[in-house]
Amino acid sequence: MSLVKIFSISTRARTSGTTGMLIRHASSSQGKVEKVYPPNSPGYKYVNAENPAETFKEMSDRAAQTMFWTELARGFAVTLAHVFKEPATINYPFEKGPLSPRFRGEHALRRYPSGEERCIACKLCEAICPAQAITIEAEERKDGSRRTTRYDIDMTKCIYCGFCQEACPVDAIVEGPNFEFSTETHEELLYNKEKLLSNGDKWESEIASNIRADHLYR
Amino acid sequence: MSIGKILALDKVATFFNIIRQNGGIRASLYKLYRQDELKDGVLVGEDKYGNKYYENPRFFYGRNRWVEYSDNYNMNYDGSQIPAEWFGWMHYKTDLPPHQDPSRPHYKWMSDFTENLSGTTGQYTPYSTTRPKVEAWVPKPKTSQ
Repeated sequence: MSLVKIFSISTRARTSGTTGMLIRHASSSQGKVEKVYPPNSPGYKYVNAENPAETFKEMSDRAAQTMFWTELARGFAVTLAHVFKEPATINYPFEKGPLSPRFRGEHALRRYPSGEERCIACKLCEAICPAQAITIEAEERKDGSRRTTRYDIDMTKCIYCGFCQEACPVDAIVEGPNFEFSTETHEELLYNKEKLLSNGDKWESEIASNIRADHLYR
Repeated sequence: MSIGKILALDKVATFFNIIRQNGGIRASLYKLYRQDELKDGVLVGEDKYGNKYYENPRFFYGRNRWVEYSDNYNMNYDGSQIPAEWFGWMHYKTDLPPHQDPSRPHYKWMSDFTENLSGTTGQYTPYSTTRPKVEAWVPKPKTSQ
């Protein structure tokens, strides 16, 4: 390797010259087209590390910073500042994050204001459920109305897509706002009709407000 | 910028204010132990289970509303102990606490709120709500003859 080549490499490194620009001569066939590196076109940003300035003042400043460990002191100062800073996290369960009225959480079967259950066993939710988590059996009730005798949702199959509540013509099955229904065993997540109805009785206040909040978009 | 702000005296004042609002040094220490945090705020309301809800817009969104669980729960507080009425306010869905929200329904069939009972004796166990489709044949007992 010739000396010329070595020096040509060394000049390619960015020097802190007058402009900080390196002029490379393109060795194209017709004439010499000057190319500036880095190109100073708008929107172009040089992101690589630049060589430190080599003036006497800059160099003595750097030497002093190394000698007196000022990085250490400044680092500790940053740490100390963060001790007194307001944390960026929320203190669950005392504080809770914002939630949409459309949030799709634990399922619930709703009732009419009279207390009559809404579900008429049309089985649209069962048909649309992509995870096939819903099982419905229906029978005629004593008063002649069509109601479910079995309404099971396997919450471990459910993917919380919300198709069931969209399919429901009577707003009976809804995905309520609750997401704190984790259990210790698998079987507790195999919900039956009674569990879903009791969820509805428990959460009706919030479910009704969610539906009201979203009524313009339904 | 006043001289007090430059010397961060307003922060010191806030600190003593927080201690005073939380009921002195001993009570503050207990709250700090129980809730990992001490805050000053305005009491917005209390639900029927004794949980108290506070608000202070000085904190950023997501931290400006919080609940102090009832003392009955002791250290066994849980996120699912916030009843449905306060759930929306707690999760920033509405600015109206339930006692100021006239549109919330109150039906007589609505049941009391329960926390997540998993792992306790009150936990839900699944059962079939229908008769089994296939029933085992029970042979007739042989008549003695």
